[in-house]
Amino acid sequence: MTRTRSPRSRKKPPSGGLRPWLGWALKLSLVGLVVLAGFAMYLDAIVQEKFSGKRWTIPAKVYARPLELFVGQKLSKNDFLTELDALGYRRESAVSGPGVAAVNGNTVDLNTRGFQFYEGAEQAQPVRVRFSGDYVAELSSTNGSKLPVVRLEPLLIGGLYPKNLEDRILINIDQAPPFLLDTLVTVEDRDFYHHFGVSPKSIARAMWVNTSSGQMRQGGSTLTQQLVKNFYLTNERSLSRKLTEAMMALLLELHYDKREILEAYLNEVFVGQDGQRAVHGFGLASQFFFSQPLAELKLHQVALLVGMVKGPSAYNPRRYPERALERRNLVLDLLEQQGVVTAEQVAAAKKMPLGVTKRGSLADSSFPGFLDLVKRQLREDYRDEDLTEEGLRIFTSFDPILQMKSEAAVGETFKRLAGRKGSDEVEAAMVVTNPETGEVQALIGSRVPGFAGFNRALDAVRPIGSLIKPAVYLTALERPSQYTLTSWLSDDPLSIKGADGQIWKPQNYDRRSHGTIFLYQSMMNSYNLGTVRLGQEVGVPNVLKTLARLGVERQFPAFPSMLLGAGALSPMEVATMYQTLANGGFNTPMRGIRSVLTAEGQPLKRYPFQIQQRFDPGSIYLIQNAMQHVMREGTGRSVYNVLPKSLALAGKTGTSNDSRDSWFAGFSQDLLAVVWLGRDDNGKTPFTGATGALQVWTSFMNKADPLPLDMPQPDNIVQAWIDPHTGQGSDASCPGAVQMPYIRGSEPPAGASCGAQAPATGDAVMDWVKGWLN
Amino acid sequence: MNKWWIPAVSALALLNGCASVPQGSIPVVDSGVPVSNSERVSSQRTANNYPQATAQRTAQPRAITEDSGVVVMIPGGGAAVSTPISSQPFTPGPITPGPAAAPITTGSYTPSTTYRAPAPITASGIPSSSGGLAADEQLDGPVLALLTTAQQQQSSGDLNGASSSLERAQRVAPREPQVLYRLAQVRMAQGDAAQAEQFARRGLTFASGRPDLQASLWGLIAQAREKQGDAAGAALARQKAKVSL
Repeated sequence: MTRTRSPRSRKKPPSGGLRPWLGWALKLSLVGLVVLAGFAMYLDAIVQEKFSGKRWTIPAKVYARPLELFVGQKLSKNDFLTELDALGYRRESAVSGPGVAAVNGNTVDLNTRGFQFYEGAEQAQPVRVRFSGDYVAELSSTNGSKLPVVRLEPLLIGGLYPKNLEDRILINIDQAPPFLLDTLVTVEDRDFYHHFGVSPKSIARAMWVNTSSGQMRQGGSTLTQQLVKNFYLTNERSLSRKLTEAMMALLLELHYDKREILEAYLNEVFVGQDGQRAVHGFGLASQFFFSQPLAELKLHQVALLVGMVKGPSAYNPRRYPERALERRNLVLDLLEQQGVVTAEQVAAAKKMPLGVTKRGSLADSSFPGFLDLVKRQLREDYRDEDLTEEGLRIFTSFDPILQMKSEAAVGETFKRLAGRKGSDEVEAAMVVTNPETGEVQALIGSRVPGFAGFNRALDAVRPIGSLIKPAVYLTALERPSQYTLTSWLSDDPLSIKGADGQIWKPQNYDRRSHGTIFLYQSMMNSYNLGTVRLGQEVGVPNVLKTLARLGVERQFPAFPSMLLGAGALSPMEVATMYQTLANGGFNTPMRGIRSVLTAEGQPLKRYPFQIQQRFDPGSIYLIQNAMQHVMREGTGRSVYNVLPKSLALAGKTGTSNDSRDSWFAGFSQDLLAVVWLGRDDNGKTPFTGATGALQVWTSFMNKADPLPLDMPQPDNIVQAWIDPHTGQGSDASCPGAVQMPYIRGSEPPAGASCGAQAPATGDAVMDWVKGWLN
Repeated sequence: MNKWWIPAVSALALLNGCASVPQGSIPVVDSGVPVSNSERVSSQRTANNYPQATAQRTAQPRAITEDSGVVVMIPGGGAAVSTPISSQPFTPGPITPGPAAAPITTGSYTPSTTYRAPAPITASGIPSSSGGLAADEQLDGPVLALLTTAQQQQSSGDLNGASSSLERAQRVAPREPQVLYRLAQVRMAQGDAAQAEQFARRGLTFASGRPDLQASLWGLIAQAREKQGDAAGAALARQKAKVSL
């Protein structure tokens, strides 16, 4: 074997005598040598082919939105610190370098890490952020100069894995933190820099240790052999495999230098299992266990990672923290013994906790629902191999803070409502978007956080019930010469003869009729009779056209029952529909992805912001007004038991037949959320839209603390004073007069002034609502 | 017996042959580049070498500043004149309610023939001198910084980068009409006149009381409509631009 190593051995004369038996032995061994040489050639081809080609396939990495910082931004200090923790910023008393943050009262000093984004690089820089209330009050460099805007690096939220589920983050050997290489060599292969791939010395030592202790305690494998084993061979334990491994190790050393081999080792080594995903390489291990880039790791963290190489599952610091700690300290002792670090350094490192991120913390959560959405959007543009092998970097609009808040809202609401019979079988889905950008920010596909299965937010297609109603009323309000918010509408019983001769008699939720009411009152109380009557007047096909313009692509038959939401949509489709209502009548295709970069950081693809005006802003202004009445006085009013009155919100409840589906869709200025509750087997639930989905929605909005809805008043809108009982024009000076918006020209003629007296009580109009209604 | 060296030498020659790659020259090509945070920044790029995945980089930014003489590029543009917003999949009844099939103009919809479209009003009482695009310096720090970045990217020909920076600005200030105006301009430069018009229209809904800006937005809408083959709509928009001023 050593002959393959060095041409010099060729010249060495054979030792030994000239006796014939020796000659035969020599001949035989030469034949063996030729066979061995052939085998060596075969192995050499394997070694070189795999090592010189594409060594690893890298799954695409998916990133959350980068947190932007600027003065005036709405961001609480707590949320900011949550994000920093998730990004693995170390808390220290003073900022010493990238990835470190120092909190001092309302001021946070940090040093960002820098990142390559689609439109350019964000440099690592020291930043000071001062908070005031829930806003960023000041943003400056630590030398005092003001900074207009700073982006943090985005949180890595997952990857798109191939079947073998190997995942890694490639690193250069230059990125190895101090001590990593020394620790690795000290612990695993002390002769690494001196041997030729195999180390007779360590084999001898291992044999000595093993025989003296009577069990397999130490392996004599060099780092090169370990790399060969992981890289080229199976896990089989046999002498022939051991020999193959040794030969390949020698060949590898022959072709490549030590740093090259060490770098490959750093990227190949198996360090843990995350469900089905195998965590390979120290680059990913560092993110996986500490949420930090490898280069930032300190001695105690390095010692832990290197210690884990011996037995990734036995020394898993999350599952066996004590064992892992013991192992880490053993490694530290060894480093001291070998003189790699000083006794003081070891003592200091031993005082440190393990420092691994907790399960369930932002850094260590998985978001399968959102990743599923991302995957589906990517599959339209890329082949599976591109996604799982090319190391693409996918930048999304995912907001981890909002995601955690929606998960908490779902969890807490279910806990609160657990007393209701049958609530255990109820599932949940939720979509959170930014209505002003059309970006999906959070997504829940199951009431169990992190559950990767049926994605109800995308795939649970259920009757939407009264969520359809804004489309009915909007169709009417687009005809201001016929309909205004204060048009009279009869809620008396009616029956409709269908095309098949069947008679349909819709009912109100409370099984009562409410006489003649204003149009907006029928909407806010979700009266079915008034709605069906209005829908029949404007025509079911026109309502369906409105629905399509709102962004719903699904086709429905023009049956009258469509007016009460017999049509089924997924929560995502509902979000698209309400997005158009929230965004001034401009439809925008929902986006979860912003851009894609190649593994080298080159821009590859953008998913641009696109809008299309589908409605006159005036009629949208009116329907938003009616939807605000829903929240103030109608079926959504319980929201203000929790949220401040100053927060203007618009929304709509929805309940399908027999409470099989509990819906709520609503929005503030900057946040839109759709919640669905229901059973997978489509059974009855104990919830209406108001008692179920709205409760989740309210809890979420309470946590998210959104901006009040504030649509700028379009030029064709006028505000008119009216009498709340008659709907006649009135005057600001009249008692009880209320203001309503109208499309210019459709407002009632102004009434006479009632003199100088100030308007007295003005809530007479608000007495329409009784009980929980749909 | 003393020919032992023949097989030995041939074996060694074989072995030497398979070890023929000289040490030190490493034929290694990695597929991925390191993606740990500290390294990511190092992969710099120049603005001009985008793989053009999505963009139609048809027009240089300057080409669209010329108002007259814009070549109508849409095939069958003549037919499109009668349906001014042909780019929209929806041309439903309620948007064109009146019998007069006048080209639809945004900002002041004419929801019914009985209602006269109001002249642009300075409703909020904001002095009109504060409107207009020359007022960039009045913008907030972050928006101004991002618009500046976008401007630099656009003038170096990096329209995708400019677009991306402007969308970033739009996330920071979603209702700032100047951002929407710039987005419309860049879409125009990218050859997407339909989206240019849409963004300008969105800008108008936030530009109340800023006549200069309204005029610019209408001007851009006129260009966009012209490019889409809608001469009548363009003329109407140009009319609006004058009224706004």
